[in-house]
Amino acid sequence: MLAEKYADRIEKIFSKYPDKRSAIMDLLYLAQEEYGWLSGDALEEVAALVDVDPTQAHSIAGFYTMYSEKPKGKYWFQVCTDLPCALRGADDFYQALCEYLGVEDGGTTEDGLFTVEQVMCLAACDRAPMMQCNFHYHENLDLDKVKALVEQLRQEAAAAQGE
Amino acid sequence: MTETVTFYIDGQAYQVAKGTNLVDAAKMHDIDIPVFCYHPKLKPVGMCRMCLVELGSLSVNRETGEVERDEHGEPVFRWFPRLQTACTQVVTDGLAVRTTTEAVVQGRNSILEFLLTSHPLDCPVCDKGGECPLQNLTMGYGPGESRFLIDDKIRLDKHVPLGELIYLDRERCIQCARCTRFCDEIVGDDVLAFHERGRRLQIVTISDPPFDTKFSGNTTDICPVGALTTADFRFGARPWELQEEATICPHCPVGCNLSAGTRLDRDAGGKKIIKRIMPRQNEWVNEIWICDKGRFGHHHTRAEGRLEQPMLKQNGAWVPIDWPAAYDLVAAKLRQYGDSLGVLAGPSLSNEDLWELRKLAGLVASEPKLGVWPAAMTGGDLVAQVGVGSGTMLRAVGPETAILVIASDFEEEAPIWWLQVKQAADRGAAVVVANARPTKLDRYARAVVRYRYGEAVSVLNGFAAQALKDKSLTGKLSESRVAGLSQLRAALKGVKPAFGDAGRMLLSAENLIIFAGGEGLSVAQHRELMQAAANLLILTGRAGRANSGLVAVWPGANMQGAYDLGYSAEATQALLDTPPRMWIIGAANPVAEDARAARAITGAEFVVATSLFMTPTSEAADLVLPRQSFAEREGTFTNGMRRVQRFYTVQGIIGDSLPDWKIFAAIGERLNGPKARISAGAVMKDITAHVPAYAQASYPRLAQVERQFPLVGGDDLYYGGTAYFNLSGLGLAIPPVAEDGSAQLEVRPVTVDAPASTDADLSLIPVRVLYDRDVLFEPSRLMHHRVPPPSVELNQADAERLGIADGDRVAVEGDGYQITATARVDGRAPAGYALLPVRLSSTPAPTTPAACTVRKIGE
Amino acid sequence: MNLLRGFATTLKYLFEDKVTVQYPEEERPVRERFKGRHALKRYDNGLEKCIGCALCAAACPADAIWVEAAENTDEERYSPGERYAKTYEINMMRCIFCGYCEDACPTEAIVLEHEYRLTFSDRRDSIYTKEMLIDPPPPGVPGTPQQTEPGRYTRSIPEMKDPL
Repeated sequence: MLAEKYADRIEKIFSKYPDKRSAIMDLLYLAQEEYGWLSGDALEEVAALVDVDPTQAHSIAGFYTMYSEKPKGKYWFQVCTDLPCALRGADDFYQALCEYLGVEDGGTTEDGLFTVEQVMCLAACDRAPMMQCNFHYHENLDLDKVKALVEQLRQEAAAAQGE
Repeated sequence: MTETVTFYIDGQAYQVAKGTNLVDAAKMHDIDIPVFCYHPKLKPVGMCRMCLVELGSLSVNRETGEVERDEHGEPVFRWFPRLQTACTQVVTDGLAVRTTTEAVVQGRNSILEFLLTSHPLDCPVCDKGGECPLQNLTMGYGPGESRFLIDDKIRLDKHVPLGELIYLDRERCIQCARCTRFCDEIVGDDVLAFHERGRRLQIVTISDPPFDTKFSGNTTDICPVGALTTADFRFGARPWELQEEATICPHCPVGCNLSAGTRLDRDAGGKKIIKRIMPRQNEWVNEIWICDKGRFGHHHTRAEGRLEQPMLKQNGAWVPIDWPAAYDLVAAKLRQYGDSLGVLAGPSLSNEDLWELRKLAGLVASEPKLGVWPAAMTGGDLVAQVGVGSGTMLRAVGPETAILVIASDFEEEAPIWWLQVKQAADRGAAVVVANARPTKLDRYARAVVRYRYGEAVSVLNGFAAQALKDKSLTGKLSESRVAGLSQLRAALKGVKPAFGDAGRMLLSAENLIIFAGGEGLSVAQHRELMQAAANLLILTGRAGRANSGLVAVWPGANMQGAYDLGYSAEATQALLDTPPRMWIIGAANPVAEDARAARAITGAEFVVATSLFMTPTSEAADLVLPRQSFAEREGTFTNGMRRVQRFYTVQGIIGDSLPDWKIFAAIGERLNGPKARISAGAVMKDITAHVPAYAQASYPRLAQVERQFPLVGGDDLYYGGTAYFNLSGLGLAIPPVAEDGSAQLEVRPVTVDAPASTDADLSLIPVRVLYDRDVLFEPSRLMHHRVPPPSVELNQADAERLGIADGDRVAVEGDGYQITATARVDGRAPAGYALLPVRLSSTPAPTTPAACTVRKIGE
Repeated sequence: MNLLRGFATTLKYLFEDKVTVQYPEEERPVRERFKGRHALKRYDNGLEKCIGCALCAAACPADAIWVEAAENTDEERYSPGERYAKTYEINMMRCIFCGYCEDACPTEAIVLEHEYRLTFSDRRDSIYTKEMLIDPPPPGVPGTPQQTEPGRYTRSIPEMKDPL
């Protein structure tokens, strides 16, 4: 449970806002960080913390693309394919990425490590094609760069597993 | 006096109060600015863009500061270059609006075309078709055809249940957010929200149970399309086929004005029946809202098992008899047992019924004992003294008014009052909730006062003592007109002022409304509570004023009427203490609800009951007379705020049933009483002649209407929703005695009994729930999911001590009663008490606090 | 002279084709657009075209049509849409055979056909119920209600081109 495990952090989050329900977005991030995605139970847990109906948590999680209500791989690639990026080849890049990882649009690799999806503007049009991996930007990408990144992440994951 | 400003619509000058919303201001002058998302009861959001208009302002010469004028002397306006939303604009002085220009027409046209790109156009089967704002506005302002290809139309789910009461059609939704905003702003139940965005946006609920609010039906009224429809009406009829009849809700003391949509029905044998219940606007009472119990709880009017003939019990079997024989029999029995007659009047008898019953009892007994049922609350006579004054309008109260809700689970007992008090709190009224346990209104209360069950009176005494300390509070009191003041002062001297903050909030506001329930109080204790409330109001000079006074949260629709006509719970108690030999029970079910009453009734020699169904009470009777429900006849109810309201004949009569007043009058004729009146209106005329308080309440007076704002119904469906115009009467609020400046008032010191300690381990507190198994509600099958199973709420400590866990089956026993129920341990019950929701179990239990033991039983 | 002219006319018609029809042994065919008794139509799969929208009743200038609707389920399906006519009655004594109902119908369910022999000896018999009005299902196809697979009929109103 979040309330026990992160009591301090939750306290700190609450202290930032004038009323409890304003803290819902921060707490949803916390829940996502903890569980990897926002399940129905996670939404209920957060809703109970800020004293709103779970419907409200569900609504917020549905509105913002940085929350996920579906299970995700350990690394979450969000590729911007909005117009400026598309002009710099984001579509082709995205397709190549999918092919390289062997997944469909929005899919997760079999080893459960990578999820890819297209998103709307991430405000880095000048360095397109770009993507966000677990909320960190990777810019001026091409397939080689991303291959290297994937390899690196695979090693990291394997190392983490080994420990 | 609010400041008025002048503004201009299409060149014409108009005046409205400053700060009025532009759409409202135009509507007040009968100018249409079409809207979808804006609603006069909700905050504007400007989401739908339908209300686009050209805005401008008076052109003022900067040097002289004067309004510039053209050669004809007309003022010159400066226009903003783009269309703007009218609903987000507040009227200011000199504001100019153009609603008919090419640009505006084009704007509306385009918005409608856009909204229709993904609208399914299944108007022929849509329940909203015929009263649909989108349909109407498309006809009025829309393009004749669409440029979009029908093959590209997106397909979405047509049949998404939001709970079992409301269905969502995702294709029809135009995403105006009226429903979600209603739930958030007006009700405060945030159980409906948008999910996703853009074209994937949809309305969702994941509360448990889904769409968990008692006001869900109202979303279907304000939905500007057929996206939200009720399961109750689903395909029941087309709106234009319905004949609308005005009526009053028979379920609770709020007295919501309803409009019953009726139609002949093949399955009902060609009778006119209720197809749906809609709110009828009465800004004094329910505005344009009703709760789901009122909306969906109408099935008792025609449910299976309605009694159709008088039934006589002969050798333990029921034999149908005809009406004259039944009258003769009752008349003969009344002659025989007249000196030992008990009368019990149920909560849904109309004033006419009560009056004729009283007259009948008066024919055989000089001082008839007229009891009410349920006999859990009293003090209607005090409400008549210090009730809310003329001009009281809950929806208009604000910071100048304080509201105290005491001993009541307000949302369960009077949902629409709860809604209005909640909104009053939002507007800044100081709401104080005093109860022995947490209730939902606590969330909106400025202060919450907790007391132990039975000690509610001491809370009010504490406030009164506090008031006495402060001369400024009692300054408005004119001492000469109040009797018993010195005794009260003396008695309060010993009382310590308590609950300082809550008291200050209540007493510092100009007005004070006290809603008094009866939870956890015996009848005698409740009398003291009402008296203490009256004392406080009189002492602080707050009796007899608008938006100020005492309101009883009665357990029924017309109990205030019963008190006004001479009935009381004390009489019921006296009858139960020394049971009479004969009972007349009008539309009540005491045998099922109270063990003590069951014993007193079954022991009598002759019992006659008027009833809709074969209830345990009718089973216990010797003669059962089929009465008509509120839908089959005319009558009046007096609501908790003493507003007398008329209901009209809505539905075809079931069997040979008769209205209660007609039955009692016909029996009276056989006892040489006066000739029976021919109509309910004539009975009311009789009442107006004999009951001074009701002197003005003639039927024509009750049927008077006035223009109300916001406008609903009519051609303005897009504006206020599909609630109905009130064409049939706003009723008459009877002023309390205190309003007459020369009337004598009386205060009386009240005694506080400490709750008697018993050897039993727990005290049983009957509590009321909205969705119960009442005779009037149980036949509405649709609502059964929401009716909880028989349950008893226990405190954590008590439950642990007794080895009971949440969800266990338990037996609750006490003097003369035993029921089985599911234990709930959810932190609501104070230690030492077991809360038992009434009218859930089929076995009788006490209706006032009693000692009990609770033990776990096997599966 | 005029008399002779009259006889000549009679004589002329003696040799022309007869126009008198020996009704009821013989029947004269009616025109294609003749508006006789109504029929409620079915789709080829036996489901009813009528969706119980009552627009025919609304359009009827004689107030001759009575419709009560109910909801379809996949277990008990009458029409491909959400809604069907539970009760459908036409009072033939009231009906003026104007055909407005046909024009109003969004699914072309009601059609005025060529039957014109409508006699009854009791006023009650002038009310034609749904059973009397509806066409029999096509040969080899079950009538209604039918049990249908879930998810097949999800529209409120079936689309006209290919309702199946």
